[in-house]
Amino acid sequence: MWRFLSTRILMGALTIWITTVLVTLLIHAVPGDPVQIMYAQSQGTTPEQIEEVRRSLGLDRPIPVQYAMFMERLVQGDLGNTIRGGQPVLDVIMQRLPNTLVLACAAMFIAVLIGVPIGFLAAYRKGSLTDITLMIIAIAGISMPHFWLGLMLLFYFAVELGWLPVSGNGWLNLVLPALTLGLSNAAIFARLTRSSMIDVMNQDYVQTALAKGLPKALVLRRHVLRAGLLPVVTMMGLQFAFMMGGAIVVENIFSWNGVGRMAVEAIFQRDYPIIQGFILTFSVVVVLVAITIDALYAVLDPRIRRS
Amino acid sequence: MSVTPDIEVPKAPPGFLRRLVRSPSGAIGLIIVLLLIFCALFADVLAPYDPNKMGSGGRFLPPSGDYPLGTDEFGRDMLSRILFGSRITLIVGAVAVGISLTIGMAVGMIAAFRRGWVEAILMRGTDVLFSFTETLIALSFVAVLGPSLQNAIIAVGVAGIPFYARTCYSAALVETSKPYFEASIAAGARPTRLVLVHLLPNVMPTMIVVATLGVSTAILAAAGLSFLGLGAQPPTSEWGYMLAGSRDYINRAPWLMTIPGIAIAITVLGFNLLGDGLRTSLDPVERK
Repeated sequence: MWRFLSTRILMGALTIWITTVLVTLLIHAVPGDPVQIMYAQSQGTTPEQIEEVRRSLGLDRPIPVQYAMFMERLVQGDLGNTIRGGQPVLDVIMQRLPNTLVLACAAMFIAVLIGVPIGFLAAYRKGSLTDITLMIIAIAGISMPHFWLGLMLLFYFAVELGWLPVSGNGWLNLVLPALTLGLSNAAIFARLTRSSMIDVMNQDYVQTALAKGLPKALVLRRHVLRAGLLPVVTMMGLQFAFMMGGAIVVENIFSWNGVGRMAVEAIFQRDYPIIQGFILTFSVVVVLVAITIDALYAVLDPRIRRS
Repeated sequence: MSVTPDIEVPKAPPGFLRRLVRSPSGAIGLIIVLLLIFCALFADVLAPYDPNKMGSGGRFLPPSGDYPLGTDEFGRDMLSRILFGSRITLIVGAVAVGISLTIGMAVGMIAAFRRGWVEAILMRGTDVLFSFTETLIALSFVAVLGPSLQNAIIAVGVAGIPFYARTCYSAALVETSKPYFEASIAAGARPTRLVLVHLLPNVMPTMIVVATLGVSTAILAAAGLSFLGLGAQPPTSEWGYMLAGSRDYINRAPWLMTIPGIAIAITVLGFNLLGDGLRTSLDPVERK
C-alpha cells in the first residue's frame, strides 16, 4: 500500500513541478510583448514605468534565472503582486479559494447522492423500463450544457419564483450553483455506477452466492455494493477536477466569488500574475484531491492494501 | 472529458451498419447528426434572413410567423443565427477533435510500438497533462493566445490530446501483444508496415467511438469558453456566445436563453447517442 501511495505522491509532485515550469514559460508564449499587452488598457503608462514593471517581474533576465527567482519566491509563499491593484496574488487567491472548494464539495455531494442510487437502481433492474428511462434521463443530463442548466435554474428559481437570491455569497446563494454543477455530474455518476454494478453482478462469486440461495438483498449489500463502488470512488477524484473546471463557468453565472471567476476576469485584464497563481493553485488542489482519493481507494480495496 | 468509454472494441464486425441503425441510440443519434450536417451545409439556403443583419423587423420580437424563433436584442433573426451557428458548432467539433485525434493517436501508437524510454517519456508526460485536466489546459491556452473562436478551438483540441493518447495507447498495446503482430515482426515486416497495416486499422474502431463521443465534449467545452467571452467574439452567431448575451434579457426575452441552449443540448445529445450506438454495435460483448 505504501508503495502504491508513494508512487502516486511522486507523480503528484512531478505534476506540480512541471506546472511551475509551464507557468514561468507561459508569459513568454504570449504573442507580442506581455508587459505592453498588460498595460494596453490603462492610460498614461510611460515607457519608464513599463521598463520598471519588466524589471520587477524579472522579465529582463534569462529564462532559467527567471525560473530560479520564481521558485525562490514561491518557496517563501510569494506569488507576486496583481497588475491591477498591486495586492499579493496569494492573498487574492486564498480569499476566494474556500468559496470554490465549498461549491465543488457541495456539488460533489449532490452528484453522488443523486447519481449513485439511480445507477444502482438501474443496474438492479437492468433491461427494465425503469432502467431504460433512467438511462435516457442520464444521457440527456450529460448532454445538457451546465451553463445552460445554470441559466435556466437562475431564471425559474431566482427570477420567476423569487425563492432564491440571484447572486451573492451566502449559504442560500450556494444552492443554485451547487445544484447546477451537481446535477450535470449526477448523470455521469449514474452511468458509471450502473456499469460498474452490472460488471460485479456478472462475477462468478455473485452468481455463486445467488445460486446457493442467499437472499438477493443480502448479496447486493454484502457482495455487490462494496466492490461496485470502488470504480465510483476512483471516479470521484477525476470528477472533482472536472467540478473545479465547471466551477469556473458556474461561478460566473451566479457571481459566486471564487477563483474561477477571478481567473476569467484576470484573462480579460491580462493580469498574468493572477493567471499564473490560479493555474498553480488549481493543479495543487487537483493533485491533493487525487492523492486523497487514491489513499481512500487503498483503504477500501484489500487487494491494494496488501500489495 | 468525464465519461471514460469502454475501450476494448475489436475490428468492425460484419453487419455493423445494420446493427447501428437498428439500435435505438445509434439510429436517433445518426438522424440528429445528419440533420445537423444538413443545416450546416445549407444554412445559406435555409436561413430566412442574414444572421448578422440588425433591426430589420424590430428588437425582442417573440417567435411568430415571420420570425419563427423570434429576434434578439439587435433585431437579428434567431432562426437564421441558430442555423449559421450549426455550421460553427460542427466546425468547432470537427477541428478540435481532429487536433486531439491526430496528435493523440500519433503519441499513443508511437508509445505502444516503440516501448522503452520513448514509451516512458510519452506516457508519463500524458499522465501529467491528464491530471492537469482539460479545462485548465484550455483556459491556459486562451490566457496565452487571447480570446477568439480560433484560439478556443485550438485550446480545446490541445486539451483533449492526453485523453486520446491514453486511449489509443491502451488499444494499441492490446494489439501489439497479439500473436499475429509478433508473427509479422518475425516475418520481417518493416515498422511503417507494422504501424500502418496492422496497428492503425485495428485501433481505428476504438478511436472512432472515442472521437464521436469526443465531438460532444469538444462542442460543450468550446461553447463554454464562448459563453465566458473567451471564445467566439461578436457578432458571430456561436451558440455559447448567444447564450451569454441572453442573460441580460432573461425577463424580457426568455426565448433568447432557451433556443441556443436547446440547440447545443440536441447537438451534444446527437453525438453522444451516435457514439453510444457505435460502441454497442462494434462491441461483441455488448452485442449479446
